[in-house]
This record gives sequence, structure tokens and C-alpha cells, in this order.
Amino acid sequence: MVGATLPISIVELLLSGAIAQSGHDAAGHAAAAASHAAPAAGSLGAVTGTLPQWTLLIPFLPLLGCVLCGVCAVLKIRNKLPALITVACLAGAFAATVGAYMQTVGGSGGGGGGGHHAQAAVVKAWDWISFHWRDNPSPSAAPDFVANFSFYVDSLTCLWMLFVTGLATLIGLYASEYMAGDLKTAGYARFYAAFCLFVFSMACLVMGDNLLLLYLGWEGVGLCSYLLIGYFYKKPSAVAAAKKAFIMNRIGDFGLSMGLMLTYVQFGTVEYAKLFPMVQGYLDLAQHGKMSEIPWMVQVIPVLFTLGAFGKSAQLPLYVWLPDAMEGPTPVSALIHAATMVTAGVYLVARFFPLYLCSEWALPIVAWGGALTALLAATIGMAQFDIKRIMAYSTVSQLGFMFAGLGVLGAVGGASHVFTHAFFKAMLFLSCGAVMHGFAGQLDLRKLSGVAWMPGWKIVTLAMFVGCLNLAGFPFITAGFWSKDMIIGDAMGNHGLQAIGWILLFTAGLTAYYTFRVFFRVFAGPVEYHPGDEVHAHADDHGHDHGHGEHAKGDETHDGSESRHASEHFHPHAPGWAINIVLLTLAIASFLIIPLVHPFGKAENTGDGHGHAAAFWSATMVGSSTAGVEPPHAEHAKFLGMTAHEGAMYASIAVGLLGIAVAFVLHYVGRRTAAVSKADAIRLGGVQTAAQHKWYVDELYHFLIVMPLRVLSHIFHAFDKLIVDGLVNLLGWMPRGAGHTVRRTQSGVMHDYALRMAGGVALIVLAIWFLNTPAGDGDDGDAQPPPAAHASVERAEGVEGVRP
Amino acid sequence: MIEVVLADGAVSSYIPVMLLLTMAVTFGAFNVIASRLIGPRRDGGTKGQTYESGMAPIGTARKRFNVRFYLIAMVFLVFDIEIIFLYPWATTFPNLDPGSTNAQVWLFRILFFMATTVVAYIYGLRKGVFRFD
Amino acid sequence: MTQALPSTMLAAVSMGEKFVAMWPEAFLFITTCVVMVLGLSKSLPVRRMCAPLAGVGLIGAGLIAAAMTPDTLCPLPSMAMYGKVLAAGIGLVLVCLLAGTVDRDFESDVERTGWFDVIRSKRAEFWAFFLFSLTGLMLTAGADDLILLFLALELTSLPTYVMVAISTRRDRSMEAGVKYFFLGALGAAMFLYGFAFIYGGTGHTGLQDIQREVRAQVDAGGINELTMLGLVLAVVGICFKIAAVPMHFYTPDVYQGSSASMAGYLAFVPKAAGFFAIMLVVSCAGWGFGESRAELPGMLRDVLWIIAVLTMTVGNVLALLQSSVKRILAYSSIAHSGYMLVGVIAGPGLDGRGGEFTRNGLAAVLFYLLSYGVMTVGAFAVLACLERRSRDGEIEEADHVADIRGLCKTHPVLGWIMVVSVVGLLGLPPLLGFFGKLPLFTSAISAGEIPLVVILAINSAIAAYYYLRLAYLCYIDPPETSPNLAPLRATPFGSRRVAGMLSAIGVVVLAVVGGKLADATVTAGRYIPPAGQTQQPERAADDDAPTPEHVVAPH
Repeated sequence: MVGATLPISIVELLLSGAIAQSGHDAAGHAAAAASHAAPAAGSLGAVTGTLPQWTLLIPFLPLLGCVLCGVCAVLKIRNKLPALITVACLAGAFAATVGAYMQTVGGSGGGGGGGHHAQAAVVKAWDWISFHWRDNPSPSAAPDFVANFSFYVDSLTCLWMLFVTGLATLIGLYASEYMAGDLKTAGYARFYAAFCLFVFSMACLVMGDNLLLLYLGWEGVGLCSYLLIGYFYKKPSAVAAAKKAFIMNRIGDFGLSMGLMLTYVQFGTVEYAKLFPMVQGYLDLAQHGKMSEIPWMVQVIPVLFTLGAFGKSAQLPLYVWLPDAMEGPTPVSALIHAATMVTAGVYLVARFFPLYLCSEWALPIVAWGGALTALLAATIGMAQFDIKRIMAYSTVSQLGFMFAGLGVLGAVGGASHVFTHAFFKAMLFLSCGAVMHGFAGQLDLRKLSGVAWMPGWKIVTLAMFVGCLNLAGFPFITAGFWSKDMIIGDAMGNHGLQAIGWILLFTAGLTAYYTFRVFFRVFAGPVEYHPGDEVHAHADDHGHDHGHGEHAKGDETHDGSESRHASEHFHPHAPGWAINIVLLTLAIASFLIIPLVHPFGKAENTGDGHGHAAAFWSATMVGSSTAGVEPPHAEHAKFLGMTAHEGAMYASIAVGLLGIAVAFVLHYVGRRTAAVSKADAIRLGGVQTAAQHKWYVDELYHFLIVMPLRVLSHIFHAFDKLIVDGLVNLLGWMPRGAGHTVRRTQSGVMHDYALRMAGGVALIVLAIWFLNTPAGDGDDGDAQPPPAAHASVERAEGVEGVRP
Repeated sequence: MIEVVLADGAVSSYIPVMLLLTMAVTFGAFNVIASRLIGPRRDGGTKGQTYESGMAPIGTARKRFNVRFYLIAMVFLVFDIEIIFLYPWATTFPNLDPGSTNAQVWLFRILFFMATTVVAYIYGLRKGVFRFD
Repeated sequence: MTQALPSTMLAAVSMGEKFVAMWPEAFLFITTCVVMVLGLSKSLPVRRMCAPLAGVGLIGAGLIAAAMTPDTLCPLPSMAMYGKVLAAGIGLVLVCLLAGTVDRDFESDVERTGWFDVIRSKRAEFWAFFLFSLTGLMLTAGADDLILLFLALELTSLPTYVMVAISTRRDRSMEAGVKYFFLGALGAAMFLYGFAFIYGGTGHTGLQDIQREVRAQVDAGGINELTMLGLVLAVVGICFKIAAVPMHFYTPDVYQGSSASMAGYLAFVPKAAGFFAIMLVVSCAGWGFGESRAELPGMLRDVLWIIAVLTMTVGNVLALLQSSVKRILAYSSIAHSGYMLVGVIAGPGLDGRGGEFTRNGLAAVLFYLLSYGVMTVGAFAVLACLERRSRDGEIEEADHVADIRGLCKTHPVLGWIMVVSVVGLLGLPPLLGFFGKLPLFTSAISAGEIPLVVILAINSAIAAYYYLRLAYLCYIDPPETSPNLAPLRATPFGSRRVAGMLSAIGVVVLAVVGGKLADATVTAGRYIPPAGQTQQPERAADDDAPTPEHVVAPH
């Protein structure tokens, strides 16, 4: 502990220095709070250990991969080398992450389940930004603004980076086969370059030790998402989707950037190691119920962060870009738009959980936003026919679960669900991708049936089945069940927000239904298939250009009668070894992670809804990071007469099984063809149509936001053309006119030049003479009138006086 | 408050300069104006030709021609200036303490100077200044 | 021992010690002598040694200068070293650029006839003059005496008159050389006149002595009017060297008349010498006046202010109308002189010794000289790399704007050098030009010269028009093939391309490593106020009391 206390005291010193600089009265509270809370809790976010420099490999190996893939693109290498490079680099990054994890958490024994045993370390790559801007800085003074290119590694970071790098490695391997059709073009290397760049950006986002680096990564993943959604840039729908994703994200990023700036204004730093100790001061106020003493600015910052998180993680009202993002290649959908990037918002909330606790409004916003999104997306997902879109809506819905979990003070549940969801959702997407790959871009669940019985599809079916079980929350044997249960339990246990628990419970039922709807229709039932649009382009080579986007749009109005028969020569193309290995690995991993997120009965022993926080792996990971603060008002409601968690568990078992059963009855029992099932007999009229049309949200946005902007833009355009351009043109012509005048002096005749030079010198000397003589008298006369005699002497002699 | 002081005799010591300047300007102006006023003027005809002898000019005047005479003049200048520099040096050098550092510096300096004139001489030689063919 | 000598001799002895500080120049001078003789050899390989030897001489001189850290006895003691290294560095690029400027047809004649006509050969003279001129530039940077300053300036200029005249075989070059010579003589007369007045007003020629005398005059009530007149005349006269209004008229004619490589030379060497000289002359009066105690004396400031404003405006406005790239660059050279004068006006900043890069106008000027030199040499190198045989059989270099149309497609390397150079001259952020212009702005702002900064900004905006036009011509316009003219080909002298590439790389790379350079310029821009800068008590009480940093103890 001696070694640990020393850095803490240094942080406190820095802290007091920063407070002296910032000069806010509020900071006084922080100082006071920090001083009386010093030994026990003042270490929030503080650096308590060190990590070796090889930790830097985690972000920089992917960057190296990006550069090498770029080189491959330049050298026009047309084989699988970029895939090899990428998988090698990402595997290296994963290995480094595991190493960093061992150092961070494993070093303290790992046993005992203690909450605060994991260390936090900062690994510096280089000085990035360091500014002085106050007047007369002394060279020794600390810079006013510091953002280093350095990485903050604590257990939360490890949790995120473990699945980011691990899944990225697997999906990179999967893509080497999936993208093989593009081997002949430059696209293959381009894909992998962007892929690696994405992992680098994600690492900056998750590992950055300051908000600015987080912001850099945030924008970086947005950029990569844009590049990869628009990967098929010749397809208008892909370009439109990429644009939509980018613009929607910009709205969120606006919030994040405002939050970043306000953070600097309020705290005078953006570095976690200095920021969190200051947050501790406000947190103490919040825990003592003195919410009104916290300045409003501190309370606004998390709300702004929430806006950013909702944009990146596709929550209401900014979720509409994510389903469209399915235009990208499926590995991208799996990695970026299901497993990793979209969880960046959850990470942001989890990382700044202490700050959220300091705000009266932020967490309720997060909770309600998440819960409503979960419900809305699930209802849309029930009515869709494109299986990739169903998965997309399910992602939106599950992200809603995570936010709701955080919002009801269950950071452990939220983060655990991120972890498990990453595995099973990636698996689901990759399975869908394999189907799409094998059936020439077919994604319509009315045109595929009985895939499980076809030769060579066993592993895909298995993976899909395991994934569906997880997503549906099949009791006990799936990781998804435990993490989801944790969220619902936390919500039920939260006194004020039990309504959210009910919404989530209902949504869990819907989720089970639509998940197994896909499984029963596509994988079970009679064998029947209609290839997608890409069949004509290539008879039997593996190349295809994934034209599913256009027909996915058309299929929304498809009534099933226009059943185009399969081409005689079309044979489904079963997945190869790379895809199978990846799917198998993921399926096994999804079981192996169960103990990591499962309390295994220890929760009941404590008898307290939050007691399990100290019991199992993911709880340790969250609990020993900045998210591991004890929330205030720990009153726990009962549910169904039991502890909230037990009650929620039984309830969610019931709704989950019910959902699966309904799907079984409606979509499996008695289904003779791919297109028609018993569900079609149920007519819900307008509700169904509206759900199919995604509740007309896109149209609503178009009417409310795009149209007025368009009208406004026409008005501004006219104004710009007539008045602004006119003024600019006028300004542009003025120098030219002046030039035409001055040009006459350049006659090219030497003695003219000589005359003008001499004349110019004379003019200047005279001008100076006349300018200065009266001015000098006047100025000094005003200040203090000189003796009259002196003045007259000056004038009489015409002598120039120069003020020293 | 600011005192403006005319340095004693600062201007008056320049009176000879001013006088010279005035005389020069007056002389120039007088000559130009006087020749305009007094001299007879007969323009046109042969007067406007390049050579008043009546010989018609051939070709253009913007032509390069041999500069050998200038070269000879330059060689003369090289040695002339050398002498000009050597005189004051020669009169001062005997006053220096023989064998002192100062004297050595002075000696080195004039040797350097003479070396440069030797280079000029070599240059002229290579350029063919002394070939009077 | 020295007491026995008369006072003139004492001064001479100090001259002797000063000679030690001139080792770089001496080295360069010896190289010059060798080059001058070798260039007249009958053997072609020996003749070809001229340019490489010049390069070796420059490297040697630069290394010596960098190793010696020669502080001179003047108000800007550390400028000498920076100036000498800068001259050597840019000089090296210029060696590459000037290759093949003279004797091209002559050498082919020699090859054909086998007879070396020594009178017609110009190689030795050209390279010797080149080195003489750079020697002059180095001497200017290290001058601490008005006489030395004058001689150094003239040593810089005189060779350039000849070099301009022989840079092409056309009459235009001859005309340009003659114009340049006569007008240059007028300018030289002007500042020599000014020097004479300064001597008359102070009784000294040593810059430090003059500075001390000016201080004494100020303490006695005011600067002597003769001194002031001398300073003004000297500054205006030196404006010829930097091509500032009202001495700028020759610039476009001379640049257009000489070869592109020579124009690149003219854009840097005389300008650098002129700025060294202006800063030295102005520093005699010093930046210790005004309310902030960091301004130039009122009259001098007004002169420079008027000149700066007129220069940048006239240069930019006239550049808009040109159709010749050389003339555009010539006017841009005028405009850039105006920008740099802003730094001279701003001075070394509140902290009299010049502390921070962003507040020291002199450091800004020194940095800008480097960046301007690199960028403009790059632009001229592109022109020097493109040539055609015109109807009369003479070599003609690219000059008209139509010649660089679509250059990025026809000659990608040259096109990009041009784009990078002009965008750098424009001062767009990632490139060197921006980091040159930024301290000019910031130092002027911290000196309180807000109107000047506004005018500078407006002028930068005007300049964007013609710089972007050049970039647009190269990058976006399609190549133009005129039926009347032979197509342009790349010049056989690869080293010119090397010069261009060096410049373009410099524009990018120096911007990245600019921090070290900035430190060097801050050191170089150190201004030593005269001993006894402390104001008289009654004055200090009247004005804003100077803070302790501004009061420099006598040393």
C-alpha cells in the first residue's frame, strides 16, 4: 500500500494546483470533499499501478495492419495477404490485451472477488497536445491544457478491449472467406485497411486516457463505419446509408464535443486521472443527498454525453441509421454495427458513471431512452422480413437494454450484457452472413426454408441456434439469459423505475418471439430456396457483389405471390473452413463465458439486489473501475414477493419460453412452404403495416426535419446568390481595379523608374516630416503642456522631436 | 515635456556640403537652361541621323562586341588598387612593434590581400588578357 | 603595447580580431578563387567542377558558421550565425537550381568545333560571382559597422547585375541587367547617403557606437534630426534590395528578363541581405520607444509602416493582372517583403531581449526569410525545369501561365512541386508558409499594431486569388497544346528538378520540424538594448511604469 499511496498524494497535489487555477467556487467543494474523503475514496480514477510499454501494441498493431494493408492496396496485391496481415496484427493485439488484463487484474490474485483490487495504469505513447495560453507563463508552470497520446488501462478498459480485439480477430478471419469475391479488385485491401483502422480507433476510444483521445477514437470509428457501410460505393443505397449514418452520428457527436468542452471549462482538465478525483468531490455531495449544491454545469455534462452515446449506440431518437447500415458487408455489420462500435455509447456512460450519478436528469434519460428504444425496435423487428434487418433492430433493442441497465443504476448488468451480446450477436450476424453468402444475397425469410437440412450447413445452423437461444434468453444455459436477467432485476429493484422493468420484461418476450421466428422459418421447416439477385452475375464462382440492399427495399411490399423459381443451375454454396471455424469458436465461447457473468447463487446469500456486485468476474471488472461507485439511495424494491433478481429471473424465464412457444406455433407448426405460415392468417391491420414500415419514423423525420431545412436552404441559396455573392464579387473586383490603376507605373522604361524611385523617397521623407512635426507637439502638449517658450522654439526651428 | 535640442553646430558644420550641393545643382541647371535659351536650333534632316557625317548606320546597335579593352582596363585597375592599398600599409607597418602579434596580423592581412590580386592575375592570364593578337 | 598606437590603429586591431569571426566568408572566398580559375580550364571535366566545388564551399562555410557561433558587436549579435547558415543552406539549393544557366550553347559549340574560346566562356565568372554574392550575404549578416555593411551589401548586389545580364542569351536579359544595375546604383546611392547622415549625426560608424550615441541623444532630449534623416534614407535606400515600394519598380522587369533560375536567386539572396541590413540599421535606433517601451522611434516606425502597407498592397494588387508566371512571382516577392516589414516594425517584443517565438517580430522575419526562400525557389525551379526551342533556335523557358496548365498531368513531379510551393506561399496551415506567417501576425498583435495586422490579413486574402490560380492551373486545368509553340520538355539538367524537390520537401518537412528552427530564430533575433536603457526617473513616472523585466541593467 505504500507504493500505492504515493501516486495518490501526487494526484491530490495536482488536484489542488488545478483548483487553484480554475478559480471556480464549485471547485472549492471538490477540494473540501477530496480532503475529507482522502484515504478511502479519493482514489477514484487515480493511477494506482504501471503497465509495461508493450501495452501500446494493442492500439498500434492494428494501425500497423492498416498501413500494411494500404501498402498492399498501393502495390495492387490481389491475394489474401491483407487478410493474413490483419488477422496476425489483431491476434497480436488480442494477445497484448490478455497480457494487459493479467497485469491489471490478475496481478492482485484475482481471487477473493474484491472490488478494488484491480489496478489502473496510464501508458504514455507520446506528448500530444500541451498548451500554455495564459499571459506571461513561466516556463516551469504546468501547461493549461494537456492531452497526451496515452492510454488509461483499468479493468473496464480490459473488459471492452478483450472482446473488441478477440472478436475482431475472429471476424477478420471470417471475412477473409466472405470477402473473397472482391479479391480481384482493390476492394479487398481497402476493406482490411478500414477494418484495421477501425480497431485502432476503437482502441483509442476505449483506452484513451483523456476525453480528447476518446473523441478522436469516437470520430475515427464513425469514419470507419462510414467507409465500410459505403464499401459498395457504386450502389446508391449503400452511399445513402453511409451518409445517413454519418449525419446521424454528427448530431450525437455535437453533444459529445459540447460535453468535452464543458468538462474542460468546469474541471480544467480532460485527463481521467485528474478528472475523476474532482468528480469524487461532487459524488460525495450527491451521495449525501445534496444534489442542489452541485453546479448545473456538472449536471449538464452527462446529459450532453448521453446525446453522443445515443447517436453512436443508435438509441431514440437517433437510431434510424443502424438498420440502414446493414448495407455494408456482413462482417462489418457483425463487428462494427453489432458487437463493438455501437457499444461505445454504453462505454461512455459506464466510464463516466460517477459523473452521471452527480446529475439529477442524466440517468433517468438514459434509462427511459433505453427502455423505449428496446420496445420500439423489438416491435419493428417482429414485422420485418429481411433477416439482417431483423438482427439490426434486435441490436438496437438490446442496446436499449444495456442503457436501461445503466440507467437503473446497474452498471454491472449493462456492461455484462455488452460483453455477452457482443458474442452472440456477432455469431448471429455471421450466421446470417453465411446464409446470404451461400444463397447469392438472399435475405428474405419468406424465400428460404429448411437450411438446417441441407448438406454442409450443420455448423451454421448450430451457431444460429445457440445465438438465438442467447438472444431469446433461454434459461440457465445461455450467457444472454444471465446478463439480461441482471438488467431486468436491477430495474425491478429500483424503486422509482419499476415501470422500466415491466417494459423490459415485455420486450424480452417479443425478443424471444422474433428471434425464433427467424430460426424456425429459415433453418427449420421444408427445404426450399430461391437465390438472391446475385445469381446471374456469377454462375458458380464465389464472386458476388452483395446486391441485397435494393431488393431488401423492394421486399417490404412483397406479398409472397411473386415467387420466382430458383434457377435450375443454382446450387447453394455451403460455407468453407474459415467461416465454420469462426462460428464454431464463437458458439463454444458463448457457453464458456457463462460463468463470467453468472453470480452462481452467491447473490442470494447476500440477500441484497446489489450484493452480487462483488461476486463474479464481470462484476469485478466493472466494480474495480471508475464505474464501480456505490450509487446513492440504495433502496431496493421487492418483486413478486422475492428479491428483485429472483423474481425477475422467474418472470423472464416465463416470458422467454412463451415467446419461443408462440414463434413455434405460428411459424413452424404446419408450415408447408417458405412463404406462408400461420402467422399470415393473423391480420392486425394498420398496426402491422405501420410496424412493417418501421412506424413511419423515417418519413416523420423527413417531414419534420428534412423538409423545413430544404425550404430554408432554398431561401438561403437565393440570399447567397444575390447578396453575398454580389458583395464578394464586388470585393473581388476592387483589387483588380486598383491593379489596373497602379499598373500604369510599370512602364518598363528605366528613367521613369528612376524618377519614380527618387520621387517616392522624397514623398516619403516629406510625408514623415509633416506627419510627425505637428503630431509630436500635439501629443505631448495634451499630456502636460510644455513651457510656451520651448514650444515656440521648436516650431521656429522646425526641429523634429522624437519621443524616447 | 520633450526637449528638442539642436546639437551645437550640427547643421552649421554641413554648410560647405550644402554650398557644394547648391553649386552643383545650379551649375547643371544653368548649363541645360542656358543652352536651351541661347543655342540656335535646327532640327530635322541629317541632324536626326545617327552619324551626322551622312553615313547610313548598318544593323542594330544592340550587339555584343569584344570586351578586350575593358579587360585590359580591369587588369590595370587590379594593380592600381593594389598599390593604393599598399601605400598606407607600408607607411604604417614600420611603426608596429616588430615580432608582436599585432605585426603578424598585419603582415598576414596584406599577404592575403596580395594573394587575392595574384588570383586576379591568374584569372586574367587564363582569360587571355595578355595575348595581344 | 597597444597604447602606443594611434586610435585609428586601435580600431584596425579590432578589425583584425574581427577577421577571425569571418572564417566562413574567408573559406567561401578561397573557394571562389579556385572556382574562378578552374572554370577557365580547357578540360571539360575540370570546368564541370565549378558547381560541385561551389557546393562544397557552401557546405564548408555553413559548417564553420554553425560551429563558431560568432556573436558580433552589434545590437543584433546572434543574427550573424543564423544568417550565414541560412545563406549556405539556401545557397546549396540554388547551386542545384543554377546548374546549366550559362554556357549551354557554348559547350555544345566547343564539342562541335573542339576549340575552347576562353573569352566566350562565362562559367567561371558566373559561379565566382555567385559565390561572391553569397559571401556578401554572409558578410551582411555579420556586419557590425556601417562601412562593412555597405561594402557587404554591394558585394552581394554587384555580381547579381552581371549574373542577370548573362543568365540568358536574349536581349531581354541584357536590358534587365542594365536596368537592374542603374536602378541599383540609385538605391545604393540613397542608402549610402543615409549612412553618411547617420555618421554625421552620431559621429560613429560602428553599429554599437551609434546605438550608444542615439541613446545619449535621446537622454539629452531627442534624436538628432540628422541621425533620423540618415536612418530614414538608409531604410528607404535598402528597400531597393528587398524590392519594397517605392524602390520596387525594377522587380518584375528584371525577374522576367533573367532566366527562371536566376530569378529564383534574385528572390532570395538580395532580399535576405536587404532584410539583414534593415534590421541592423533599425536596431541602431532600437525598439525602446513609445508607451510600451517596445516600439521604434515614431518617425522610423511611420516610414516602415507606410512602406510595408504600400509594398504588400501594390505587390498583391499588381500580381492579380499578370499573365506571366515570373511576373506573378516577382510581384509576390514584393508583397512578401511587405509582410516581413511588419515583423521589423513589431520588433523583438516587450521583453527587450526577445523571449518567445510568437512575440518576437525579428525572429518572425528570420523564420519567414527561410520559408519564403524555400517556397519561392521551388516555384522558380519548376519554371527552370521546363523549356522549349523557340523559332529562332534559342532555348526558351516556361513563363506564360498557359505553359503550366495541366502540369500535374504532363509532368506530375513538377506540377506537384508548383502546387506545394504556391500553396505554401499562400500560407495554408499544414505547410511552411503558414508557420512563417503566424509569428508575423502574433508578434504584430502583441506589439499592438492591429491596423497593420488587418491590412496584412486583407492582403493575404487578395494573394489567395493568384496563388490559387497558379495551383488551379497546374492541378485542375487540362493540359493545353498550342499549335504555334513547340511543346515544353523537361530540361536536361536534373539538378534543377532536385532543387525543386528539395524545396517542396522542405515546405512540408520544415513545417513539421519547425520547432527547432523557431528556437534558432528566437536566438538569432535577440536584441541587446543599449546600456543604460533605464529611463530617467521623471519620465518613468509619467508614462506607464515599465515593469522590471523591461529594465535592463547596464553591462
